[in-house]
Amino acid sequence: MFSRNHRSRVTVARGSALEMEFKRGRFRLSLFSDPPEDTELQRKLDHEIRMREGACKLLAACSQREQALEATKSLLVCNSRILSYMGELQRRKEAQVLGKTGRRPSDSGPPAERSPCRGRVCISDLRIPLMWKDTEYFKNKGDLHRWAVFLLLQLGEHIQDTEMILVDRTLTDISFQSNVLFAEAGPDFELRLELYGACVEEEGALTGAPKRLATKLSSSLGRSSGRRVRASLDSAGGSGSSPILLPTPAVGGPRYHLLAHTTLTLAAVQDGFRTHDLTLASHEENPAWLPLYGSVCCRLAAQPLCMTQPTASGTLRVQQAGEMQNWAQVHGVLKGTNLFCYRRPEDADTGEEPLLTIAINKETRVRAGELDQAVGRPFTLSISNQYGDDEVTHTLQTESREALQSWMEALWQLFFDMSQWKQCCDEIMKIETPASRKPPQALAKQGSLYHEMAIEPLDDIAAVTDILTQREGARLETPPPWLAMFTDQPALPNPCSPASVAPAPAWTHTLPWGRPRTFSLDAVPPDHSPRARSVAPLPPQRSPRTRGLCSKGQPRTWLQSPV
Amino acid sequence: MSYIPGQPVTAVVQRVEIHKLRQGENLILGFSIGGGIDQDPSQNPFSEDKTDKVNGWDMTMVTHDQARKRLTKRSEEVVRLLVTRQSLQKAVQQSMLS
Repeated sequence: MFSRNHRSRVTVARGSALEMEFKRGRFRLSLFSDPPEDTELQRKLDHEIRMREGACKLLAACSQREQALEATKSLLVCNSRILSYMGELQRRKEAQVLGKTGRRPSDSGPPAERSPCRGRVCISDLRIPLMWKDTEYFKNKGDLHRWAVFLLLQLGEHIQDTEMILVDRTLTDISFQSNVLFAEAGPDFELRLELYGACVEEEGALTGAPKRLATKLSSSLGRSSGRRVRASLDSAGGSGSSPILLPTPAVGGPRYHLLAHTTLTLAAVQDGFRTHDLTLASHEENPAWLPLYGSVCCRLAAQPLCMTQPTASGTLRVQQAGEMQNWAQVHGVLKGTNLFCYRRPEDADTGEEPLLTIAINKETRVRAGELDQAVGRPFTLSISNQYGDDEVTHTLQTESREALQSWMEALWQLFFDMSQWKQCCDEIMKIETPASRKPPQALAKQGSLYHEMAIEPLDDIAAVTDILTQREGARLETPPPWLAMFTDQPALPNPCSPASVAPAPAWTHTLPWGRPRTFSLDAVPPDHSPRARSVAPLPPQRSPRTRGLCSKGQPRTWLQSPV
Repeated sequence: MSYIPGQPVTAVVQRVEIHKLRQGENLILGFSIGGGIDQDPSQNPFSEDKTDKVNGWDMTMVTHDQARKRLTKRSEEVVRLLVTRQSLQKAVQQSMLS
């Protein structure tokens, strides 16, 4: 029996023909059963399926190894997105079904649980240090062993990838330029990061392999892959501990291996660079193994929507400070950690300064009802903040009981969001919209700094600046933070500086250098060389025990050694 | 703005390549180095150049001894340094304006 507003359910029996069609990507969900979010997801799924077909064709047409690597990467990313979207669709259907069967129309139902607002999560400046062994680094053999690497990032059902970078032993770090943004994250997000690598050189001499690979992938997923598809559809949607990408079922062609992975959560979010540990996933025997140091540096920022968009607005009357009977009418806008009170509603958009700004943070207390017994002033709420020893209370009158309810509700939601998003609500973290990715430069060989900058004579600043201006228009209006290395006031009480180089003396006469000697750090070295060593033992300063290298208290010496 | 020791820093650097001189049976560079993460920087009389990398080895977190050792390896004839200095910033700015 059909009722007008009742959505029909769609279930897929395991092992049915419909399920097989699901897997082949040729299904079509009925129009009558799709809520709007699902049609959006469906559209994305169709898009990925088309992209996948295109990638297969491209792979078949590739002649060069590097193009094949790019095409294989696109193909694998499409595959993983398809799986992820299909899993999400299935989960949503199941949730719909369960939701309906659990509740009867006659129940009033419990009040909806409060859910935190969504936010934007952006990860950028990703850098993975490498750790080449001595022998590898300094060998000057002819052929350079090269790898192609990229990062795959998954949050919820969204998967994004970085550009592919070619790595060889002249690089000390793998640095990705991409800025990856996820728009609909909750505070309980799990951002899974995976590093995939493949050898640029052929693993085996197989010609004609790409064509076979393409036909095999485009027609079916193969038996072992099919098992994995089913497993991922059955699991509760999260990627769990299994890698996001399907292993390539084929024959020849470039093959990407999972090299390392990690999962980042809200605790890792900070408005600055942080280093996180990577779980290494491959061994030396693996052809694509890279000597990873074991960590990844990045900037993970999050902007909850409550901080960037107004959550409530309306007319309020504010009690003027010191004037008990004089209440000013303002247009209040609740945004982020402030309640802005503007003279007129238009001022909020034009950027005019508000008449009054009331801070709302974790320690703010809000109460509905009358505090000071203002006669004839119903529907008031009061907001109290503690500033040092003083408590400042603002009393606001709303227009009606419903308005008071909605303001209180908005404030409660804001407090809840702040408790969930934690450090992201202290201050708005800046997120740059990622620029559209430049098309991959197929043969751009990533040289290291050593090979790119040839400077002669040794001290030519002009040559350096020429090269720098050619490379990128650096933004140099404000002094960059690294200049702080040259000031005498370092940030922490543990002053440590990189090794400094003193200018070379004139070589007019021979000096009895001898072999450089090792001196213990605390000892005052005997004055061998004609150049005086400046070692000034300061009176011992008993500083509190600090972490790190200088655990003996403040360093008291400035050693110099000839090299 | 200040930097925090131990945190990554991006700086404008200059690459310097030095071939060691032979003096007797030793290979030497011909200058001195001072400082290190275990040294007191307020006693630095020069405060001019800082070395970020020596032949690929990171020098931003090394002690004086480690720095000296990496520069005086007997097997290396050539030392490649990545150096940063305060005047680099001014020079780059001036070239941007012109």
